[in-house]
Amino acid sequence: MSGNVLDADVGIVGAGPGGMAAAAALAAAGLRVVVLDEAPRAGGQIFRQLPEGAHAHLAEPPSHDAGHVLLTAFAQSRVQLVSGATVWDVRPGRLWFEHDGASKLLRCQRIVLAPGAYDRCIPFPGWTLPGVLTAGALQVMVRGFGVVPGQRALVVGSGPLLLPTVTALLAAGVKVVAALEASSRWRALRALPAVLGNGTRAREAFWYARQLLRAGVRLQWGWTVFGCEGDGRVQRATIGKVDANGRPRRDTARTIDVDVVGAGFGLVPSIELGLRLGCRAQWNAVRGGHCLVVDGEQRTSVAGVFVAGEIAGIGGSAVAIAEGELAAAAILREVKGTAVPSAVVQRVQRERRAADAMLAAFAPLPGLHELAQPDTIVCRCEDVPLARAQAAAALHGDSLRAIKVGCRAGMGPCQARICGPSLQALACGQHYRAMDLPVVQVPLKVVRSATIVDAPTG
Amino acid sequence: MAETADLIVVGGGIIGCSVVHHLAQLLDRSTRILLLDRGPVAGATSGSCMGHLMVTPDDAQEYAFTARSVQLWRELNERQGGFDYNPTGALYLADDPTDVELFAVLQQQFAEHGDRADLLDPRQLRELEPGLAHDLPGALFYAGDGVVLPMLACGAMLREAQRLNQHVVVRPHCAVTGIDRDGDRIRGVRTEQGVIAAPIVVNATGVWSPELAAMAGQPRLPIHPRAGNLVITGHHVSPIRTQLLEVGYIRFAHSAAKVDPTRTDDAGGHAVNMQPQTNGGCLIGSTRQFRGMDRELNRELLHRSLLRAQRYAPGLADAPIVRTWVGLRPYSIDKHPLIGPWPLLRGLWIATGHEGLGITLAPITGRLLAQQIAGQPTDIDHTPYLPARFVQ
Repeated sequence: MSGNVLDADVGIVGAGPGGMAAAAALAAAGLRVVVLDEAPRAGGQIFRQLPEGAHAHLAEPPSHDAGHVLLTAFAQSRVQLVSGATVWDVRPGRLWFEHDGASKLLRCQRIVLAPGAYDRCIPFPGWTLPGVLTAGALQVMVRGFGVVPGQRALVVGSGPLLLPTVTALLAAGVKVVAALEASSRWRALRALPAVLGNGTRAREAFWYARQLLRAGVRLQWGWTVFGCEGDGRVQRATIGKVDANGRPRRDTARTIDVDVVGAGFGLVPSIELGLRLGCRAQWNAVRGGHCLVVDGEQRTSVAGVFVAGEIAGIGGSAVAIAEGELAAAAILREVKGTAVPSAVVQRVQRERRAADAMLAAFAPLPGLHELAQPDTIVCRCEDVPLARAQAAAALHGDSLRAIKVGCRAGMGPCQARICGPSLQALACGQHYRAMDLPVVQVPLKVVRSATIVDAPTG
Repeated sequence: MAETADLIVVGGGIIGCSVVHHLAQLLDRSTRILLLDRGPVAGATSGSCMGHLMVTPDDAQEYAFTARSVQLWRELNERQGGFDYNPTGALYLADDPTDVELFAVLQQQFAEHGDRADLLDPRQLRELEPGLAHDLPGALFYAGDGVVLPMLACGAMLREAQRLNQHVVVRPHCAVTGIDRDGDRIRGVRTEQGVIAAPIVVNATGVWSPELAAMAGQPRLPIHPRAGNLVITGHHVSPIRTQLLEVGYIRFAHSAAKVDPTRTDDAGGHAVNMQPQTNGGCLIGSTRQFRGMDRELNRELLHRSLLRAQRYAPGLADAPIVRTWVGLRPYSIDKHPLIGPWPLLRGLWIATGHEGLGITLAPITGRLLAQQIAGQPTDIDHTPYLPARFVQ
């Protein structure tokens, strides 16, 4: 049994930019650090690495320079990385996880949560057809496994993530038939000062612009997908213009032939670990919804629990790296009494400001919820169409809990990670008001029954 | 002018929904019936329980009570449906050869009421449920039981009520904050959203019913929360098609508790109850523990109940677990529900205290209460459930 219990000074969940930055800094200061990560290799979503030994020649944007530096520092550090670990329960100082078919426990003095984010899904007719993927899933296929998902791609959605989706597809040799950004060009221009005022972000924007230009892909502003159809998999997509609020203008609809669709309507913070620990959360529409609340040094409201990156609000890799370093500095101050460098604090503030300004220009457009039709599936785990979710809200109440018990939406294996962020707005017609905080249940991710039964205690 | 209603039912769980359902069936179609809940409809106990329809043959009264209710469930499904009604029957299991004697006792009890249950030898059991452990010493199969999805059943009852009587109003997320009286008679309720006058108020708030009784200035109701841990698997992995109960379950679940329900140090107990879901998942219970209103998962009890479930269905060890949660059963101190008028305050009625049989008994409870309110003869003898037994 003892082999299934690990001890560390600091336990970190997530080997993305935030988790790696915190881990490398803490290990460099001599602390014992264990990082639990679900993926086969470190990097997280943004710096995802191909399987060991696999090669691909994907051109990379300037922001990935920091990723390589970080991956190298992380690999050379004395951090113990547990890849393929699924964390299913957490308490202060205790992380229970499934790994290699065994039930394990990490005991630690402090916890850093850096679990990242989920794709925000906006249901549209045909979004459950094979071949229609989230932007994140497409990138996992292309960049994580070298899988070419199709020949003719449509990329739709809103926000900065559309660009890496397009470039990943281009690098994989897929023809990008259309790339549709739901925000208008004028709305997006609001992000310009933030982009130009931040060196890396400016270089990043020019790099993507050059990539798209070279491939002859033109980003269409104020357009989105109205629906997908096909026999057994996506074969056609109907696209069209949306108004300033994202409402589809049906008179502009036209049909194109595609065999793969990537939809990326932004990200939603993954906060379940924090909620299970009892950390305070608050609604922040610009940063993706419910985010954990932190003090000026990445501390949550629960003693010994720190966070880095998207869990405190969507911000991207530069924010996550800075916050990982700040969380490490704050822990070192508690452990060793060393001062938190003001430069680290300022960098977090600077990167957050830039990220917030950028995201504000691509904040979710409420009118996009009008894409779903009464028979469009909104909860794909439990096969709940929009009409049934609306009927549930009408009878059982307009809370998230009411919709769930009224039609089962959100009760399946994904535990509302896919449908949750849109469910309340769709079912109640209350577009992007502060939604109810979800209630989290153990296991936080699906694990085997034996994992729960065999969970080490201590 | 204040809002008025003819009847107010407080509590949108399965019992409150059934009361509304039967009031709408039995009373004049112009009767204004208002259902209030401080949360969602089916948001509390009825949204966090199992869904067994279980005929218990202990004695003639108990048999009539449960069997009539299961029949009402069947009829609701035929008329309305939409709540995953699944007449799986029930398999009573044991893992100890000495427990096999209990099968015969139970079989005899069913026979005494003109009903039947069949003894299965190990080979017959394996044919019926190949996913069960192969060393089990047989089982008893009773065909009359079934499974429903309670939260959807609440909706089905209310939808039929609203179809029968357009003056049925359902108002979730509206908490009752007080009860108004005129001497020994009820006048109405105060809510977050205003005062509502009504001559009849039904307390169907389950584990919260003592709280509502206190608002009406009444003595403490003998209802205590009894917590249960539940576990659900992913889809399409259920090793069983029939509802499973350990034969010790009846004794464990429905005999008088040996512990004082007001204590908070109850170690709790468990007996396996497993239900196949229509999506191919498997719902696993059940534990029982008195610990007040605490809904935090008890890991120790959860482990024990999962281990016990794996003993009967070994394949469950590899089943993906989607979530676990805790529900609170309204345990009545004498093990019988309270259904009827509260004798100390005219116009106040009670329907609660079903502990783990609330889903089974919801239709008959709604019917007995509505029949009493309407002044009609009751389907079965309702006097054992009159709340007056707790009033000296």
